Amino acid sequence: MEKFRNILAASALMVAASSSAQIGQPYIHDPSTLALCDGKYYTFGTGSGGLISEDGWSWKGGVVRPGGGAAPDVMKIGDRYLVIYGATGGGLGGGHSGRILTMWNKTLDPNSPDFKYTEPVEVAASDGLEDNDAIDPGLLLDPKTGRMWVSYGTYFGNIRLIELDPKTGERVKGNKPIDIAIDCEATDLIYRDGWYYLLGTHGTCCDGVNSTYNIVVGRSRKVTGPYVDNVGRDMFHGGGKMVIAAGDRVCGPGHFGRTVIDEGVEVMSCHYEADFNMNGRSVLGIRPLLWKNDWPVAGDRLKEGTYEITSERRGYSLELAVDFVRMAQERERFWEMDMTKPIKPIPDQTLQEVIGTWPTGEIGVRAGDYMFRPHQHWTITAVPEAGGYLSNPYFKITIDGTERALAATQDMELTTVPTFTGAPEQLWRIEQLVDGTFRIMPKQIPGQETLNTRYVIYSAGDSTPTLAEYDFKSDNSKWNLRCLRMK
Amino acid sequence: MRKSIILSLLCLPLGLAAQNPVVRNQFSADPTARVFNNKVYLYPSHDIPAPEGQRQDWFCMADYHVFSSANLTDWEDHGVIITQNNVPWVKPDSYAMWAPDCVCRDGKYYFYFPAAPKEGRGFDIGVATADQPEGPFVCEQEPIKGVMGIDPCVLVDDDGQSYIYWSGMGIRGARLKQNMKELESEGMVMEGLPEGFKEGPYAFKQGGWYYLTFPWVRVEKGTETLAYAMSRNPLGPWDFKGIIMAEHANGCWTNHHSITQYNGQWYLFYHHNDYSPSMDKHRSVCIDRLSFNADGTIMEVKPTLRGVGVNQATDQIEVDRYSTASEDVTIQYHDTLNTFRGWYAELPKKGSFLCYNDVDFSGVDDAYLTANVKANANTQLLIREKNEKGKVIAKIDIVCVSEGQYRRDQRGQWLHVTAPLQYVPKGVTDLCITCEGEDACVDWIQFKNRQSYFKPVGAQPSLPDANGFIRRWTLLEPIDKPNRSNTVFTDTYLREHFNKEYFAQQFTILPKDGQKVKAGKQTLTWHALESQAYNVKLFRFSEKLQKQMYGVLFWAVTTIDCPEEIKDVRLAVGSNSASMWWFNGEEVLLLSGDRRMVEDDGMSPRVTLKKGRNVLRGAIINGPGMSDFCVRFLDDKNNPVTNYTIINNK
Repeated sequence: MEKFRNILAASALMVAASSSAQIGQPYIHDPSTLALCDGKYYTFGTGSGGLISEDGWSWKGGVVRPGGGAAPDVMKIGDRYLVIYGATGGGLGGGHSGRILTMWNKTLDPNSPDFKYTEPVEVAASDGLEDNDAIDPGLLLDPKTGRMWVSYGTYFGNIRLIELDPKTGERVKGNKPIDIAIDCEATDLIYRDGWYYLLGTHGTCCDGVNSTYNIVVGRSRKVTGPYVDNVGRDMFHGGGKMVIAAGDRVCGPGHFGRTVIDEGVEVMSCHYEADFNMNGRSVLGIRPLLWKNDWPVAGDRLKEGTYEITSERRGYSLELAVDFVRMAQERERFWEMDMTKPIKPIPDQTLQEVIGTWPTGEIGVRAGDYMFRPHQHWTITAVPEAGGYLSNPYFKITIDGTERALAATQDMELTTVPTFTGAPEQLWRIEQLVDGTFRIMPKQIPGQETLNTRYVIYSAGDSTPTLAEYDFKSDNSKWNLRCLRMK
Repeated sequence: MRKSIILSLLCLPLGLAAQNPVVRNQFSADPTARVFNNKVYLYPSHDIPAPEGQRQDWFCMADYHVFSSANLTDWEDHGVIITQNNVPWVKPDSYAMWAPDCVCRDGKYYFYFPAAPKEGRGFDIGVATADQPEGPFVCEQEPIKGVMGIDPCVLVDDDGQSYIYWSGMGIRGARLKQNMKELESEGMVMEGLPEGFKEGPYAFKQGGWYYLTFPWVRVEKGTETLAYAMSRNPLGPWDFKGIIMAEHANGCWTNHHSITQYNGQWYLFYHHNDYSPSMDKHRSVCIDRLSFNADGTIMEVKPTLRGVGVNQATDQIEVDRYSTASEDVTIQYHDTLNTFRGWYAELPKKGSFLCYNDVDFSGVDDAYLTANVKANANTQLLIREKNEKGKVIAKIDIVCVSEGQYRRDQRGQWLHVTAPLQYVPKGVTDLCITCEGEDACVDWIQFKNRQSYFKPVGAQPSLPDANGFIRRWTLLEPIDKPNRSNTVFTDTYLREHFNKEYFAQQFTILPKDGQKVKAGKQTLTWHALESQAYNVKLFRFSEKLQKQMYGVLFWAVTTIDCPEEIKDVRLAVGSNSASMWWFNGEEVLLLSGDRRMVEDDGMSPRVTLKKGRNVLRGAIINGPGMSDFCVRFLDDKNNPVTNYTIINNK
């Protein structure tokens, strides 16, 4: 029976209608790190355009970048955006003679009157014969030193590191490139807690559903390397620890970008060479970014299903504040057990057995010992029409088998309403934190005018969930989602 | 004072290029160049765009930098030495730090500069002293008494007497006291100079003559020339001789200069508004050679873009700073909003040419040419030696439009192109670029030495490197093996194609350097080589031999001599792309799939290195990537095995 259910769940997953990536028209190759401009998200891709999103979930074209070429990156510095891209190279027509250029814009919004790119400036180049192919730049503004670095290159030779002047976007005078990796491309540099990380894309691109692209990482205490993987291998010797590979009906992740949403809330952007749910097209992917032992690893996309939601504080489970209904059991005292009696399973308590004991109006919410009872099982379902945020759509959280929905109240508490109505206080933003736990926040709190980005379900006491300000340093802000059944 | 010390510690080696202008990241004007400690020190004034509240169309100067060079080609910016608001007597925010001078006397450096005083009107001239030519300089509390004016110049005569010259109601001069900070005589107007506006005196002594040189407006409503007079006495009277440099052709109103001898050659330092074509108050220092006639008179100097100094052929040569060119050649800014990004030259038609003198080829070895060029149609440039009819060094094909599989349209885009060298000049010579087709633009050219990836093997056995990588191999020239791009090499395909016999004794041969085999229609040679990197770069091996680099199959053999038996070692291989390995005749490892070279990617089962000779053989197949491999033996604790030698096959 258990086995049978697994098979059912698996086949349900295979026919999942929703896209594995973002929604809208998220078609892109070689996306830049995400940039935020006037409340909208932007990512630049190969070619002249890129994608825009109002909410971080639904994407469409409309980004404008002159110069064509490949694989740009973008970063906000002060009140301007620095865009960097490879004009030629990458084995495209022009062979491996490439040029990397930077240019500035006050805005990324093509409809803004301030939208105007400065003249592009060459910051690096490869002549086509040397061990380098000057495309695929990735920007790092070192938060420790204020210095700016670019990694670039492809399989044709070495990945190189150069320094730019963050005030001008030009190459620091006299700066000589340093070779930091081989046998990868589409690199990016990030800094976190005293470590510099070099993310490289390994494998092969541009072969649709057979593309083997995957993202690996090495790290160094110095921005100039050596970047070493988890078994001590230098990326200059091909080393690298996997961050994300194929899975979940997408393959060929490449072109890493890290976006920090909040303390402990990070996502990585990439493209998938092929989304098996979308004709095998190349699409934008946004996934939670987790950190394990100071190594980055992609989290999974949150899937619809039925979950136990337990607090990181005590391990108690989120439940309806209803009477505990004892289950009947034919008891056998252990010294009187009849060894000839057949062994049979005791069925789970069912919703039907208990729902009649529940009130019909609003029911409060508390946390208690997890006993896998119906009042502790929450079904998480996407509400596509409600929009989303970086990485996911908004969800409704209902008691399994019912329409009873978790909701935020005006006085910053939790309740459940008998029927999900789509009201914003019944919509939930669920984000996986860097340690693998989740924060869960209502889209809006009744009486507040703006979207909520501060208050999360919070353990006021072990048994008392409430809404309070998110604090990554406190386990009160964190919840674990244990999947009982996928949709 | 403290600030000036801190700033002067910020030495910024800029690698400024040889040509005019010499300071290429900021404006610089009124250059005084002096030779101290066998280096040329340049003390210019520093034009800046006027800040808000200042007169926008006038000179605006807030501080002084000092620069130095040992070859007139590479200039180092030593940073700011004096700023207006740190001088006790200077009116704050007066932005009037005009043309300075610096001289050395008895090991001390005296920096003279004009500025607007806190009290009174016009300009005073002050002194600052330092123990080093680049500072830190300490300013006097008061300006020099009895001097009202600008453009100080100090001459320290052979007898130890010093003279100061300045511009204020004509050009004046006076004796300086031994302390270099006070006048010993009253200022007097220099006699014998021509009518017309004069300023910026620069006096020097050469061959028993005193020279007084100065910017001079020779015609009414004209602009400044550089002119000079000579005398047997330091304070005149002077005998006017004529022009050193004519008016700037573009109407730049000022010129201001100094004349310096360095390593036996005389140079004229002057300025011109190269980086500010529409505003001649933003100027830039230039240098050209200067020569004397036998009678001591000065030959007129024509300003050039090329300037002075020798370019290394292996550095980027900014050919828009040409020494001569056909009349139709033009130069254009890369970015009219940021002129400091420099220029490029346009050669508009077949026959157009430009020449660039003094390029040193002594550092050129196994090199190729690279250039930054653009065009609107496919065209060709030739790089020649000496002049436009000279011997061809390289041929640059600019292909900006092409059809077929690699269709592209890169018209009007800058392209980094390369070309092999047909001929390599020796020593220092002149280059000439000629246009052989349609209109072409050139930014720079550079001669690049090829990286070396392999050395021939020596007679002696070699050792694995410190990490155990085997670098000595006998490699067979590539066997043609076409395969589709983005191939994920399957085990079945590899077993079939690696085990196929391409040449006789494929699995047993112990090849010698130079030995030939026949593989189908190809006759291929074995090459015994020592890789200079831990990984054996088969791609570069092929490239160097001008063989095919993609869609090929390589065979590699090496022979190991082990002084004792070593059990339980594994062969650790990374390869691009798939590879198969045989150790002592047994297949031990297959790397299949979509491979890149990763250290210790695949491991053989445990094998034994026999005492004596062991043969390791590999075949590597390549798709679209840069084929290479790295191979070592690891012991049972994953430490590299290094106690053996690698021998040549005889």
